[in-house]
Amino acid sequence: MDTSKTPAAAAPPVEDERVWKAGRLEPMPIRRLPDAPPSVHILGPTVFLVALGVGMGESYMWPRLVLLFGPEIRWLFLIGVTLQAVVMLEMARYAMATGESIFSGAARVFKPLMWFFFVVAIAVYIWPGHLSAGAAAFEQITGIPWMVTAIIGLVLVGVVFSLAKVIYNVLENVLSLLIGTLVIGTAVVAAMVGSWSDVASTLSGMFAIGYLPSEAMSAAWFPVIVGACAFAGPSGMQQMWYTLHLRDSGAGMGAHIPRIRGLRHAGEEEAMPSRGFMFDTDDPAEMAKWRGWRRWVTFDALLLFWGVTMLVTVSFTVIAQAAARQNPGVRAVIQNEEREVALTAMADAVSSAGSSVLGTIFLGFIALIGLNATLGLFDSFSRGQADMTYNFVPGAKKLRMSHLYAGFLWGVIIFGILILLFGPADGPSGILDTLAFLSTFAMGAYCVTLLLVNNRMLPKPIRPRWWTNVIIGFGACFYLGMLFYSLFAFGVVVG
Amino acid sequence: MVGRHSLELALPGATIGAAAGAMAGGLTLLAGQPAGLAALSALALAVPLALFGGLYGVLLGEGLLRHGTFGPSGLYWMAAFPLSRLFQDGVAGPGTTEGVGAFLAFQAMVSLGFALGFVWVHERLMPHWLLRRATVNPRAAALLETYVRHAQVTHRRKGARR
Repeated sequence: MDTSKTPAAAAPPVEDERVWKAGRLEPMPIRRLPDAPPSVHILGPTVFLVALGVGMGESYMWPRLVLLFGPEIRWLFLIGVTLQAVVMLEMARYAMATGESIFSGAARVFKPLMWFFFVVAIAVYIWPGHLSAGAAAFEQITGIPWMVTAIIGLVLVGVVFSLAKVIYNVLENVLSLLIGTLVIGTAVVAAMVGSWSDVASTLSGMFAIGYLPSEAMSAAWFPVIVGACAFAGPSGMQQMWYTLHLRDSGAGMGAHIPRIRGLRHAGEEEAMPSRGFMFDTDDPAEMAKWRGWRRWVTFDALLLFWGVTMLVTVSFTVIAQAAARQNPGVRAVIQNEEREVALTAMADAVSSAGSSVLGTIFLGFIALIGLNATLGLFDSFSRGQADMTYNFVPGAKKLRMSHLYAGFLWGVIIFGILILLFGPADGPSGILDTLAFLSTFAMGAYCVTLLLVNNRMLPKPIRPRWWTNVIIGFGACFYLGMLFYSLFAFGVVVG
Repeated sequence: MVGRHSLELALPGATIGAAAGAMAGGLTLLAGQPAGLAALSALALAVPLALFGGLYGVLLGEGLLRHGTFGPSGLYWMAAFPLSRLFQDGVAGPGTTEGVGAFLAFQAMVSLGFALGFVWVHERLMPHWLLRRATVNPRAAALLETYVRHAQVTHRRKGARR
């Protein structure tokens, strides 16, 4: 393994000259780790993961599975979202220790590994499917054609991110308010339509480990369950992009890396270093600060990410159960319909449980989730691609990171508008299966990448514990195993 | 004077509570209900949530709750939210079919989610409000100081970036 800390041969200043060698790329200079925040604080970059994670899986896919197979099916959700919380902590380990994204970590292990994620991101995330789902829900509330809303939304996202002085700050503020509204709203609605028995069955169902009814093991439903497991929390590459948000929030050694600015303020951006930094892991004071940072991010992972994701899905499941109790016919409708129709069916069912306005609120939440996902995904996609291009495409450093970010952002926006106007918004139907496969495959692949990066590229004192490695290894087997089982047993990849 | 200064700290929390109560409480009961009863229902949830939301801000000012931390806030809403719902149900609801114990237990579980959203939004609104009031309200200035101290630590963390 080509990793070692090499003290400078000459005399001090020590901190300026020592480096940490990781892989074959440029070594990381040793710098001081900033102090961790003084207390566990509720606001952090996790808002991005929550915004990206609380999506169709939580609001629609899992409530639907509960209606079809009973609350006991939720044990798979518990595994999925807990696994994601551990993945989040491990992604944070590398990003906070080095200030580098996990993409750079992957490149340090094996460059083609990083290019794999570069290609997957483009193949999966250029299709404006999230936005069109949200816009369709908005159309049902307001009557405004979904395509108009979607195109206006796309342009607005581009303008806001281009005008922003520091993109991270704008996004954190906007997403916080949107997610806050969503969380308060779902909690109050669930409080009004649900009952103790709904929430008790929802929660107890999470511990029915191993429950898989025979109907679930069919070509029609097993791929849907695989997809729902992958979409429990952030799916696809969203956990990898979280490392970029951690860096931009100044977490750990990310404090030594400049932040990405909007296009209008690109001139104010400092030059991006071509590699991250490492702190002195032999210094007990630095290690104490590191433990502070780990506490900070663990709090984020457990309360914000795990808690909010669990809360939203429990609330939506309670709402759906209340609806099905009062209108048993909804189960048959949901069983047979496509996503868009089933969303309407669930909204109708929710309406019949409470009132027509309650159905509107349900659709409003879906529209809100679509907006969250669009803001978060477009930013994350552009951020990730810009990071990889800037660091690994020869000659790209002649441009500023802001320019690359804006290029990818407007590229995906223009492509999105063209697809909305002239093609299927979710992507050509022929390649949808491939995209779903790639998305879930990427999750198994990033678990393997994490194991390699954290165990080979970090100094020994801050490497993960054995049991964390076991969980991440289980994650790789879980995603890849279910995916390939679905492919070979049923010939269908993900539902 | 002290009373008015404390009350000013209550405004953001009271606004969030009132909006949450009016938005969800009112709308969910609107259709199929006589307008008067729907309005009563919305009011019956908005008023207690606004009162408790406002009290939250006052307790922050008194130093009994700490801004940005979730534990004490979660416990606070675990009591306040079920009481608000019980009040609403008593005034304008269908009545607790499962019994008061099960009703309160359910509401207490949901309240943790409400608390998370409330604290999240409150943390976004409160500093802006304090900035506006700090020059004329010593309690606002004192509370703002705790936010500024936290921001300074965060800024030092990001200090390398100008």
